[in-house]
Amino acid sequence: MSKIKVSKIKVIKIWRASSLSFQLSSLVVFAVFLCGLVNPLISYDPVLDVDLSRRDLAPSLSFVMGTDGQGRSVGLRLLKGVEAFFFPGLIAGFFAALIGGGLGAICGYLGGWVGRSIAAILELIDTLPRMVFLVLICTIYPPSILLIAMISCLLFIPSIATVVRRKVESLGAEDYILAHVAHGFHPLKIISYHILWLQCRALLTRQLIFVFSYVLFIETALSYLGDYGVQEPYPSWGNMVAQSRISVAAWPWAIPAVAIIVTIAALLAFGDGIARRDEEVKR
Amino acid sequence: MSDHTTSVVDVRDLVIEFDTPRGRSRVVDEVSFSVSPGEVLGILGESGSGKTMSTQALLGLIDGYPGVMGGQIDLTFQGERHSLLSELPHFLFEKRGQLEKQERGWRKHRFKAMASLWGRGATAIFQNPRRSLDPLMTVGQQVLESITAREAHKPDDTKLNKEAQSIEALEWLERVKMVNPKRVFGSYPHELSGGMCQRAMIAVALACKPSVLIADEPTTGLDATVRAQVVHLLQDLIRDERCAMLYITHDIREMLYLADRVIVMRHGKVLERVSTEDLKDRSSERHPYTRTLLEAAGMIGGDNE
Repeated sequence: MSKIKVSKIKVIKIWRASSLSFQLSSLVVFAVFLCGLVNPLISYDPVLDVDLSRRDLAPSLSFVMGTDGQGRSVGLRLLKGVEAFFFPGLIAGFFAALIGGGLGAICGYLGGWVGRSIAAILELIDTLPRMVFLVLICTIYPPSILLIAMISCLLFIPSIATVVRRKVESLGAEDYILAHVAHGFHPLKIISYHILWLQCRALLTRQLIFVFSYVLFIETALSYLGDYGVQEPYPSWGNMVAQSRISVAAWPWAIPAVAIIVTIAALLAFGDGIARRDEEVKR
Repeated sequence: MSDHTTSVVDVRDLVIEFDTPRGRSRVVDEVSFSVSPGEVLGILGESGSGKTMSTQALLGLIDGYPGVMGGQIDLTFQGERHSLLSELPHFLFEKRGQLEKQERGWRKHRFKAMASLWGRGATAIFQNPRRSLDPLMTVGQQVLESITAREAHKPDDTKLNKEAQSIEALEWLERVKMVNPKRVFGSYPHELSGGMCQRAMIAVALACKPSVLIADEPTTGLDATVRAQVVHLLQDLIRDERCAMLYITHDIREMLYLADRVIVMRHGKVLERVSTEDLKDRSSERHPYTRTLLEAAGMIGGDNE
């Protein structure tokens, strides 16, 4: 019944009631998502784009964001660079939230020594310094963005699981969860719907978006540190900054750098805003 | 006591213990009671008298260690007797002169045994109405969910369809005398008053169609006028549904109004069993503690009067 009510009017109402930071960040996130979704439709050949006769051109009508040291369009590369982190980031975030939430729920529900030992293993993984571990993995195996995404997903599962486990444990003592049990709801339904979906969805959404932004961040960092990220000539925001940091012109590195900062900040604010909106219902 | 063959609930010699830093303490000490179909049994006692624990044991919801350590609980549901504690001795063992329980195994067994009884066999209304409703679901959804859980146990051809279920959910909100049931259906608990929450909770619990309802101090924390409404409502609905009720309270007036029989508990022991008629009779001989309770409520004069 409540689902029917979600209409255009409600969306506008929510929009008006939200803070400026949420409005701005959601615009940015929306733009990034749009870029990510239309990306497979854009054909781009990084080799054909090289044109040494138009090196380091300032932003103009034909090249909105100028060109880099090899005469490639910065705007087009920026757009195509979204592809590097978009799907890997989404997949990593999704699986981190899914597996982390699931494991946390299992630990919290089982309790006892089984739950405690799973929790201990997870905490052990959680103590690994993420960045160093990622660099290590990338030196051992041939680096690819998919590998980075997979490892980030793995590294975030423990922290998500721990939060969810604590939540499940504390909720187990709540009157309404006991009431659900007493009314004969299936335990699986209570865990998956009432606890994971209703109570933890805010938290899981926030974590999903956080992991997504982390993949972008780590891709940038690794590209800058060495050739661990997406390899030239294929564009990614990270290697765009890394390649053109010695460039004479400012735009080839400044524009992707600003894009990275704005996107990460917007993602975090957006995740926070969504989670807060959901939590407000409780009060 | 009514005889064992007709009672809905039959508790005999129930023992509940908990480990505390000062050793093991016996919270419920060989408590027995039984409830006949459609009967209201009142359990009267102060906080910590074990009244809540004895009823939670009935629902298998006791969480501390070691919890239920002895006795028998029989629950009759659809003409079938379920002995909830018959397997208990298998989970008990002795260690350093003290009786211990295999907690995990027992918990598993308890969940299995209770799975078909929760909701339809017995269900409960808790003390704090705000905390016993899910804060993130609308009231209507919650009533609907009880109905869905109940229907899930039925054979496929007799199940109510989704539409009939939501109609029934709305009917339940009307039956608990919500002023604007349609609005309440789509409201979240925080948008309702305490009294409305408790009435919603009654709707959620009774929509399971239980054979016995455990009402654990349902009026605590409500205004005097709202209290009276809730008590009247419970009495009417219980009669309509032919559902037995265990009514726990420390308010002796509510007890006299609602209950058919009353047991008085203190320090985990049953002190007295009386019929309500008997309790109303001022001249009859009473246990000293019951007398204190009656005096405290102003039902009989104090000694110096």
